[in-house]
Amino acid sequence: MRKMMTALVAGAVAVGLAFGAAAQDKPRMGVVVKIGGIPWFNAMEQGIKSQGEALGVDAFMIGPTSADPALQVRAIEDLIAQGVDVIGVVPNDEKALEPVLEKAMAAGIKVVAHEGPGIVNKDWDFEMASAQSFGETHAELLAQKMGGKGEYAVYVGSLTVPLHNAWADAAIAYLSAKYPEMKVVGDRYGVAESVDDSRKTALDVMAAHPELKGFLAFGSQGPIGAGRAIEEQRKIGSVFVIGPFSPGQGRDLVKSGAISGGFMWNPMEAGKVFVTMGKMLADGTPITEGTDIPGLGKVSPDTATKNIITNNLVPINADTVDGLADMGL
Amino acid sequence: MARILRDYPAEVKLFAVLAAIFAGLSLAAPSFLTLTNLTALVNNSSVNVIWAVGLLVVLIAGGIDISFAVAASVVQYLCVYAFAAVGGGNWAIGFAFAIAFGTALGFVNAALIHYFRIITIVVTIATFNAFFGLLMFITSGRFIYDLPSWWTRRIILWERQAADGSWAEIILPVGVMVLCMIATWALIRHTTTGRQLYAFGDNPEGARRIGISPGAMTFIAFGWCGAMAGIAGLMQVNIVREVVPNALIGRELDVLAAVVLGGARLGGGRGSVTGCVLGVLLVAITQNGLNLLGVSPYAFKMVIGAIILIAISTSGVTLVRARRAGGAP
Repeated sequence: MRKMMTALVAGAVAVGLAFGAAAQDKPRMGVVVKIGGIPWFNAMEQGIKSQGEALGVDAFMIGPTSADPALQVRAIEDLIAQGVDVIGVVPNDEKALEPVLEKAMAAGIKVVAHEGPGIVNKDWDFEMASAQSFGETHAELLAQKMGGKGEYAVYVGSLTVPLHNAWADAAIAYLSAKYPEMKVVGDRYGVAESVDDSRKTALDVMAAHPELKGFLAFGSQGPIGAGRAIEEQRKIGSVFVIGPFSPGQGRDLVKSGAISGGFMWNPMEAGKVFVTMGKMLADGTPITEGTDIPGLGKVSPDTATKNIITNNLVPINADTVDGLADMGL
Repeated sequence: MARILRDYPAEVKLFAVLAAIFAGLSLAAPSFLTLTNLTALVNNSSVNVIWAVGLLVVLIAGGIDISFAVAASVVQYLCVYAFAAVGGGNWAIGFAFAIAFGTALGFVNAALIHYFRIITIVVTIATFNAFFGLLMFITSGRFIYDLPSWWTRRIILWERQAADGSWAEIILPVGVMVLCMIATWALIRHTTTGRQLYAFGDNPEGARRIGISPGAMTFIAFGWCGAMAGIAGLMQVNIVREVVPNALIGRELDVLAAVVLGGARLGGGRGSVTGCVLGVLLVAITQNGLNLLGVSPYAFKMVIGAIILIAISTSGVTLVRARRAGGAP
């Protein structure tokens, strides 16, 4: 029965392709991201578009209106129905996507994930940084700014975002092992998806802990909100804000010193890598130890977990922020 | 005293709950009762209060509006384009545009309600989705940071450095909030229109028979709510210094809860500006207190929900008793 279904689906796909392919025989690739319209994924879309043109792939991005796993499931269902060759995904919730990704693979569609190392139903997942190195790199910068001692607070995007919490876990573990004089105050605050909430919480936390010297904010709006609060409280230079953020948004704050810095990977590069890997999978090019993938470098894929983890962090600071912002980030 | 208790039972009860929380926090968290913290609380509540007094007028007139927060986002985007079109603008132009756009959006709601005889909650759920959908579609959800400098520059109305070196300040949105409160209070308490709004909300058919125009009431109530939403949108940008399409969506329920907490009746005909402010402050102080006490952010929503339930059930008890005593059905 299952085989028959698969055959039917495959047949339907073939018919669909025959119709679609009459116009073009380029491979088609749809990338479903967490949410549309935010600068991060706008940049990723640019990367997907430009690399699609360069490699002759009909690649496009789908961004749901809110960061809702159910909307991603629906978008992937639509892509399966359209009969694309490759599906790319930046998951909101890894577990919620497993059934629909399983369905996609059963229909012969290749799956590339990004920021989803835990996904089982995929051909490859690529990471521009491991959660551990991302957390630790930020933690080390904070420690240097704070002189290795004092109190700091930790933000995450939301208390249920696995990746942000993994970064925070790695950073806190690193600091408590290497800088015993640094102390985290409170539990982590799940406010960093909103500038307004991050700003208010920073004011509250500084009021509650007058000795506070740092904010480690994971989540793109966290450093911005905390930076604004520091600026308002005239605490630039005595309280340091570290975290990943969008350079265009934080440009002025970095220059005034309200945000000390952070690291990011380039979402435009990630968009390009999506298409490059999609093309490799569609062509059947193998990815093995030492394969050079543009944007990732020479990779050492983990064949058991199907993860390709690399370290491609770019620092955001007063020197680099203009260049990054001019890319539209 | 007895008269106040009789005429404003919800406000008095809410004030008692608020006073208890205030006293408790002053004892439990040393940083609560400081000038810096209290001014930050007022600054951070200003946008919600402006919305709340607008919504109050709609509730008094027997309606309900959940589209105002999204309408404020729409006004922000319209303002960005309008200011660019007139070559930058200034505060006078800013207020004129924000009020005009906000009122226009309010009139859209009013027209649908009045001419098509649709229930207000259905209309505003529809416009809530339509406004947000259109906004995301037209702007592709882009963030805007490049705003006129007069709009984003912080205007400090009053400031003082506290003993511990932190700065207490009152910013422009608070001044605007006070003006909005006074204007709304004057409208509903000291004009014939205000009396008519109460009468219309309490008993629409009775009001119509004594010659009050239902159309005029609907347009005035929703127009006022829209104008306040526009002003709140303008002030929000002054605080966070950026325009983000999904920054305000979701805030409507907090404000609605606060206004109802403050004694405005969902059936119409009752409510006061004082109650609104108390309702907004209750939620704001609770959130602030939780941060200062170092309560785990994982418990935040739960505690805030519980406080709202406690406050609203105490005011509910009074209402039930008053009704029984009056012998009403």
